[in-house]
Amino acid sequence: MFRTFLSLRYLKARKTNWIGMAGILVAVGALVLILSIMAGFLEESRRTLRGNLADLVIQPSFQSSVLQENGDWIPMQTDVERMLEIIREDPGVEAATPQLQWYGIFAPDGGESALEKPMQDAIQLIELVGIDVEGEGEATDFRESLEAEFGKKPGLGKHCNVGRPADLDDPFVNLKPRSPRRSRPKVPILVGEQLAYLWGLRRGQEVSLVTATYDEASSKLNETAANARFQVVGSFRSKDNETDSRRIYMDRRALADFLQRDRLWSAVLVKLNDYERDKEDVRARLWSKLHAEGFLSAPGIRINEFRTWEDFRATLLAAIQNEKALMGIMLSLVLVVAGFTVFALLSMMVTEKRRDIGILCALGATPRGVLALFLMIGLWEAVIGSAFGALIGVAGAYNIDAIERKLSSTFGFQIFNRDIYLFDYIPAEVSFSGVAWIVGGAVFSTLLFAAIPAWRASRLDPVEALRHE
Amino acid sequence: MSDPGPIQPSPGPSGEVVLSCAGVRRSFPVGDRRLEILHGIGLELRAGERLALMGTSGAGKTTLLNILGLLDRPTEGSVTVAGEDAWRLSPKRRANLRNEQIGFVFQFYHLLPELSALENAVLPAMIKLSRSAYRSNRKEFVDRATTMLTRFGLADRLRHRPSQLSGGEQQRIAIARALLLDPPILIADEPTGNLDRGTGEKVLEILLDEQSDRGVALLLVTHDERLAKRCERVLYMEDGLIQADSSAPIPT
Repeated sequence: MFRTFLSLRYLKARKTNWIGMAGILVAVGALVLILSIMAGFLEESRRTLRGNLADLVIQPSFQSSVLQENGDWIPMQTDVERMLEIIREDPGVEAATPQLQWYGIFAPDGGESALEKPMQDAIQLIELVGIDVEGEGEATDFRESLEAEFGKKPGLGKHCNVGRPADLDDPFVNLKPRSPRRSRPKVPILVGEQLAYLWGLRRGQEVSLVTATYDEASSKLNETAANARFQVVGSFRSKDNETDSRRIYMDRRALADFLQRDRLWSAVLVKLNDYERDKEDVRARLWSKLHAEGFLSAPGIRINEFRTWEDFRATLLAAIQNEKALMGIMLSLVLVVAGFTVFALLSMMVTEKRRDIGILCALGATPRGVLALFLMIGLWEAVIGSAFGALIGVAGAYNIDAIERKLSSTFGFQIFNRDIYLFDYIPAEVSFSGVAWIVGGAVFSTLLFAAIPAWRASRLDPVEALRHE
Repeated sequence: MSDPGPIQPSPGPSGEVVLSCAGVRRSFPVGDRRLEILHGIGLELRAGERLALMGTSGAGKTTLLNILGLLDRPTEGSVTVAGEDAWRLSPKRRANLRNEQIGFVFQFYHLLPELSALENAVLPAMIKLSRSAYRSNRKEFVDRATTMLTRFGLADRLRHRPSQLSGGEQQRIAIARALLLDPPILIADEPTGNLDRGTGEKVLEILLDEQSDRGVALLLVTHDERLAKRCERVLYMEDGLIQADSSAPIPT
């Protein structure tokens, strides 16, 4: 009984112990706050990095036609319907849409210019994406990227005026010519906003796209260049700058025409009802089903055939995750420093309280009881300090943006530069299991540090201790 | 026991033996040699007996007291408390013996400065009992301590800290603390040594009154002849040995 009573009394009576408590409070508060902010960055970056990527991307390697149960052969290159049917049957799937992707060179001034000066920045590698507008809107953030506000940037690309298309349900429409057209209307395309800025594109401008295709007729690894003029009818902004600077959307059929090949699609994009919950289940299920039907190789053999969006961004996400872990380790050192404070204060206290320890022994306290007494002082410091630290950390994390703005305006300089990031606020995401881990770790490490002076106290010779005046 | 020689301790009153030691030697390392303080001491303390231990400084009185109080381990020999060979017990059982069988009164009071008078007095009960047992018996112990402290004239000092109290008051609290659990043995190391004469007298009265009322065996270390006179037996120590044992006060 005396352990609880005396430890609390010592804690109350000796204000120096509060320094240790304050140290733990600051350490735990900082850990909770910083890790919450890092988690917020991670989450926000995940959203940003994701861009227009769909939940799942299925890209068969098109090795053969597919034999159906009823004996029909499906020409896989042109017929995607059976595959979509299988995918849409899955209960975890919300939407699925085919896409045709190809690579090309962007050459606004015409194909010749691109090939004449290949090493100059007059050309740019781009991603040609043929889509079904409706399906794309259902399966990806395509529609959101058309709704994103178009803002003119000062300086670079200030002449650019490629805004969003007028009709979001039917964006691929040629602009009305000012003068009566003589030539055939060019294929309408949507360009990424960054691309438009970089090239100073104007609405209605005609540009050249150059690409290479494999010529089966010549049965050589010879490439036939295809090039054609397109009309820029609008721009889009996904959450990923990289995508915005190299992607061009057009109608899937139009892209197939341009490529002059019999392939009508290259990938199927899938959106799930609940990605975080179902991603692995649905992938496993669909993969084996599509394999059984002959569309894909056996699961796991060609991992590029079936990817989640995270697979595309694996390195970047891992980097942020890594930073978070490093931050956690570095800040844990603060906790160690707080532990040292507790160690020093308790050691001092044991020295000062030698006589009391002797008295307690004379009155019948066991060495173990004395050990527990000093451990409990450490325990209270850890529990109280980390509880308040966690509270302050959580409160700070929830209000970090307001706090930063207040601090910035008070001290007159920008602490968090919002222009650097793609989000204009400081994100924070409090994980309560994380907070519990931090508090648990703080209590554990403090107890570890308190154990040394407590053990020393328990080893004191009561006769020596009583002589201490 | 039947040998009443001047060197051997003589039997005291015929109460049962509550504390005894036999062949106790204690030596301390000094440099690479060992310095022996006690050279084989045997004594018995019987229930209700008042035993004074006198001797010059450095005779080994305090060392012997620490050994009899189970605070210090003899280099050789045994200490028996309540019929048990204390140094053959586990540290926990030995601590229990200290807690329940022996009450200590020190020269420098030795109260815990962070606790009030009342809290200091009930400390042995807190040490003895688990949290739940203490909680259910708290009132009993607080009442017992309050009654004692009131009897000792400290009724209006219960909430005071030791630093707010005089030496005499502190020593009375220490006596209450020593007697809280009704131990059969009371060990007092110069209980009035740090007090002025008048105060010392009062404290001594309290100590002796309580001792005889409760029939506690009292082992008293003192330099004070007048105090020794009030004890039934006086042992004189010199150079780590008991040199004289008298069941009556020695002539001055």
